[in-house]
Amino acid sequence: MTWLALSLVASLTLGQEGYAPQRPVTDPLDAAREARVQRLGKHLRCAVCQGVSIADSPASMARAQLDKVRELVAQGKTDDEIYDYFVERYGEWALMEPRKSGVTLGLWVFPVLLLAIGLYVIWAQSKKGPAPAQQASGEPKAEPKTDDYLAKVRADLEK
Amino acid sequence: MKKQVAVGSALAVIALVVYIMAKGFGTDPHAVPFLLSGKPAPAFTIKRLDNDQLVSLADFKGKPIVINFWATWCGPCQTEHPVLDWAAKKYANDAVFLGIVFEDNEQNTKRFLARNGWSFVQLFDPKSTVAVDYGVSGVPETYFIDRHGIINHKVAAPFVDPREFAAHMETILK
Repeated sequence: MTWLALSLVASLTLGQEGYAPQRPVTDPLDAAREARVQRLGKHLRCAVCQGVSIADSPASMARAQLDKVRELVAQGKTDDEIYDYFVERYGEWALMEPRKSGVTLGLWVFPVLLLAIGLYVIWAQSKKGPAPAQQASGEPKAEPKTDDYLAKVRADLEK
Repeated sequence: MKKQVAVGSALAVIALVVYIMAKGFGTDPHAVPFLLSGKPAPAFTIKRLDNDQLVSLADFKGKPIVINFWATWCGPCQTEHPVLDWAAKKYANDAVFLGIVFEDNEQNTKRFLARNGWSFVQLFDPKSTVAVDYGVSGVPETYFIDRHGIINHKVAAPFVDPREFAAHMETILK
């Protein structure tokens, strides 16, 4: 009886506020096109989630976005046209991976460039060879060039 | 000379890092970019909640339009409802107000509106197609569209102050 009362209260409260009600599931396309929908969905960011693709998110907005992909695929749009649709609205942010063209090409090229510069610096340093080693401690150190004042002090001491 | 090049390079790298960090700290990391400002509002045809008649954006050509995406399960949407109710009445002769119900069902929406005021046209978007076309990233979101059908801007937060809403209205009533 208690369970029945609790279920009734839960269904009344949860069904009204705080949660989006269950929306009807959209019919998938044929196997080949649906696979393409899911592949494209993996590359598109859910607008209301944190770093999750629309294919992986259970959020209602993600399902709405995936439905849009399905609609565009059914219309015969190319992959680029579908990505462009989302980029026009949300910018490059909509893509899980930045494109390898235009301004975002720098995101791919810059790390490689930095690595190349680092390798060059290492190579250039190794080509120079090691720094001259210090002379053995037993040998007298070469007399550093002395100035006139020091020479005068030494001469005075020897007197 | 070599030393000058090294110091110059180091300063350039530091300046770049400071610029990137300043840009990053100046923006909300959770904010979803919106690129439709200044572009034509996407066309739609969906049904009215009160009489099931189809409504198109083109029906309101030449008039400033306010579109509010909302849902009854969204607390902030409930909070801002009185402000929208007030605004729809105040600007009834100057602009068209449209509510688009997002990820909700008709029964919940009708019950909420009957209880809290139904002062402007409410449309039902069962598959959220219109919401995705408009680049919605959550609810509530309010779009201000000028009389030429161009999206002036959107506000992705609930309105709690009528004066704030009035300031946004000024941008499309010009």
